[in-house]
Amino acid sequence: MSRARRIAKELQAVQDDPQAGIDLEVINDADISHLKGYFDGPSGTPYEGGRYQVDIEIPQDYPFKPPKMKFDTKVYHPNISSQTGAICLDILKDKWSPVLTLKASLISLQSLLTTPEPTNPQDAEVAKHYLSDRKGFDNTAKYWAKVYAGADGGASGTAAASKPVDVFEQYGIDRESVKAIENMGFTQERIIEVMRRTGIKKIGPGAQEGAEDRLLEELLK
Amino acid sequence: MKVTIDKWIGVSTWHWNHAQDEVCGICRVAFDGTCPTCKYPGDDCPLIIGECKHAFHMHCLLKWLTTESSKGLCPMCRRRFKTATE
Ligand SMILES: [Zn+2]
Ligand SMILES: [Zn+2]
Ligand SMILES: [Zn+2]
Repeated sequence: MSRARRIAKELQAVQDDPQAGIDLEVINDADISHLKGYFDGPSGTPYEGGRYQVDIEIPQDYPFKPPKMKFDTKVYHPNISSQTGAICLDILKDKWSPVLTLKASLISLQSLLTTPEPTNPQDAEVAKHYLSDRKGFDNTAKYWAKVYAGADGGASGTAAASKPVDVFEQYGIDRESVKAIENMGFTQERIIEVMRRTGIKKIGPGAQEGAEDRLLEELLK
Repeated sequence: MKVTIDKWIGVSTWHWNHAQDEVCGICRVAFDGTCPTCKYPGDDCPLIIGECKHAFHMHCLLKWLTTESSKGLCPMCRRRFKTATE
């Protein structure tokens, strides 16, 4: 009961402040514990221009326990799982306080996009990419924003899912490196699978030392 | 004309001294209203004010402090919550 009243107030507060660019909606009027939140990718980041959807589940003892949030929109970010959308953010875990709101949480997610914390990653592969090759990371993040979040006049929402995806851009993997290894007789699919698993993005000049040996070792297993 | 008063109903207003138009940060209900578990505002549902000057409905704050995740901290400033002594 108290939970319902508070959630209703929170929905109202978000509606009363359209300037914030945050949206909240209840999926099903009969169940206010399941919502979707929306916010814009922050400007000056690879996520700029994208619109992000977040799945929100409100626990029975809200606001004494934090809301459960995960990204529905795929995001390439060290603190967000590239597979499941799970989020690593302290205020949604042990730093939660009952004076925080859904709106405040969504704004925190927005600022998490601005300031990743790669030393405390949710997605170790993405974090590795971020730390070792910032430019390559930005490109991949930008590409994902375009394909999945509708940035840059890219497809948006559900339409994005049916759009063919460039696997090289998607995983930030160097096209030439894959070609070089394909010439050794491995299939592209297998090379990309192993590169994703090992976090190796490229081989040869400019790559991490020993990357090629490690990759071949894995491929020959 | 002589008037006989046979019934008198007192009506008065009251409010807590602490920031009347503010809401309790935990339940988002005005301090002059009740916490979600109480029916009658006033002495039945008092406010509690910390040394840090942050105020809440007492029932709301106690509910928070009994959760493990609170670690005894004020929800506003995350300092250890200690009731202010006047
Ligand atoms: Zn309260
Ligand atoms: Zn009460
Ligand atoms: Zn405080």
